[in-house]
Amino acid sequence: MKPGKKNTIMVELIKVSKFYRPDVHAITNVSLSVTQGEMLFLTGKSGAGKTTLLKLLSRVEKQTQGLVEVAGKDLSKLPQREIQKLRRNIGVAYQDFKLLPQRTVAQNIAIAMEVSYTRSSDIRMRTKKTLRQLGLADKYHTPVAKLSRGEQQRVAIARAVAGNPWIILADEPTGNLDHETTDLMMDLLRRYNEKGATIIIATHDESIYQNTRHRVIELKAGRIVSSNTMPDSSIGDSHAQEHELDTADE
Amino acid sequence: MNFIAAIFTQTIRNLFQTWSSQVLTLMTISLSVLIFSFFYLIYTNVLHIGSQFEDDLRLIVYLDEEPGKAMQDQYRDKILKFDKVEKIVFVSSREAFKRFSNQLKQDRDILQDMPEDFLPPSIEIYPIRSLDTLTKIKRFSNYLQTLPGILKVQYGKQWIDRFYTFIQLLRIVVILSGVLLILTTTFTVGHTIRLTLMNRRKELELLRLLGASDHYIRLPFFFEGALQGLTGSALGLTALYLLFNWVKLRFEISASFELFHHPTFFPLPTLIMIIAISTLLCGCGSFSSTSKFLRL
Repeated sequence: MKPGKKNTIMVELIKVSKFYRPDVHAITNVSLSVTQGEMLFLTGKSGAGKTTLLKLLSRVEKQTQGLVEVAGKDLSKLPQREIQKLRRNIGVAYQDFKLLPQRTVAQNIAIAMEVSYTRSSDIRMRTKKTLRQLGLADKYHTPVAKLSRGEQQRVAIARAVAGNPWIILADEPTGNLDHETTDLMMDLLRRYNEKGATIIIATHDESIYQNTRHRVIELKAGRIVSSNTMPDSSIGDSHAQEHELDTADE
Repeated sequence: MNFIAAIFTQTIRNLFQTWSSQVLTLMTISLSVLIFSFFYLIYTNVLHIGSQFEDDLRLIVYLDEEPGKAMQDQYRDKILKFDKVEKIVFVSSREAFKRFSNQLKQDRDILQDMPEDFLPPSIEIYPIRSLDTLTKIKRFSNYLQTLPGILKVQYGKQWIDRFYTFIQLLRIVVILSGVLLILTTTFTVGHTIRLTLMNRRKELELLRLLGASDHYIRLPFFFEGALQGLTGSALGLTALYLLFNWVKLRFEISASFELFHHPTFFPLPTLIMIIAISTLLCGCGSFSSTSKFLRL
């Protein structure tokens, strides 16, 4: 399942819907393609379906209808073992961080690499490097419970990227960050993107995508309502693919 | 980090995180093993005592008439059909008279007017000595009484019956305490692991989200349980050994203790077996209690 050549489709959604009982339509008829090395912004207000879309991609949730493919594999048909393998290659920064408060910053970051059986020396090295890049080098041994919300958010980002995953999903990654730290965090994501990681950022923070040349897709009530179709081909290996904007049900 | 190192790290981390409940579980396992092995030790020693009384143990089967060669062979076959024996001796009426006369020594005159065949012929059966010979004797006697031409079967019935009942009782106690050991250890370890799972629910959910394999999540719990079983049983057996030596030292000087001659502790294979079973039980109890979580 290793990422392939340029223009390989890394993520594909075809007419995907996700309903919750009794009558919540979180995602309706969404079709979308993301190529390897692309950086994509999913925007929209709270409840627009951004988080649900990310959950479908990491197979935390299963779509009600449609096809979800990641790295060419239909997620609904993947056995549990394959899903576990896939998740090890997707770094997710959750909106609620999902950190272990009693563990240190280093331990929280290491856990993502430990499940992939990464060598201890590599884990230490990568953890230190990522923390340095996010301005948290001095917090290596600090328990997460003693960090501010902003710092915790950075740790969550660090955990998502430290293992060099193929896909990075970031859910509202700048929600608790000031302007300066937001820039730091975006720089970090850009660097991973330049190295070839496919990045999908769900956000309603306009400042991080306002002047971007990357693709921005807006969701509203679970549907794609707009998309800039100007993929940025100037950054690293990223190649945006024209996506289908399904407006059939609009 | 390879798979084994990762599992090992996880196990050590788990143990440190939940050390207080681990200590409680360890104590429960030690106590259970101690109780079970205590009764088992008594049982094996009582069997040994029984075997010490067996030197002159034999069954005497009185016959209504002198058996001919063919009849003797038939009796021999029927006896051997029931069980292997050390020795079968046919004692004729005259031989019995001679023995009796020798036993009376200077008082043998009282037999002067008696016919030499007034005593019934008999078969002396010497069972093979084993730990459960005494319990076998009773069954042997019942069998012999069913054979034709048998007047009476004689052995130390009264005390063997008592001993047999005692052994049976002890056996039940050992089995019950064994069952209790199994129930206690699996329940306690399972319960501790369930508590650990609840306490670490967030961490385990995170592991699932990060793509940890089932083995990565479950095996540390298996090793945790197995380690508890290993340590707990070793502690329980050590406690029993100390207790055994204390009792031995304290009562060695008393005369009644001589009855026991040389009380023995468990041999090494038995010790290894108890520890291995406890380890396996605790490991499996722990492992199975994680299944519910993995179904979530």
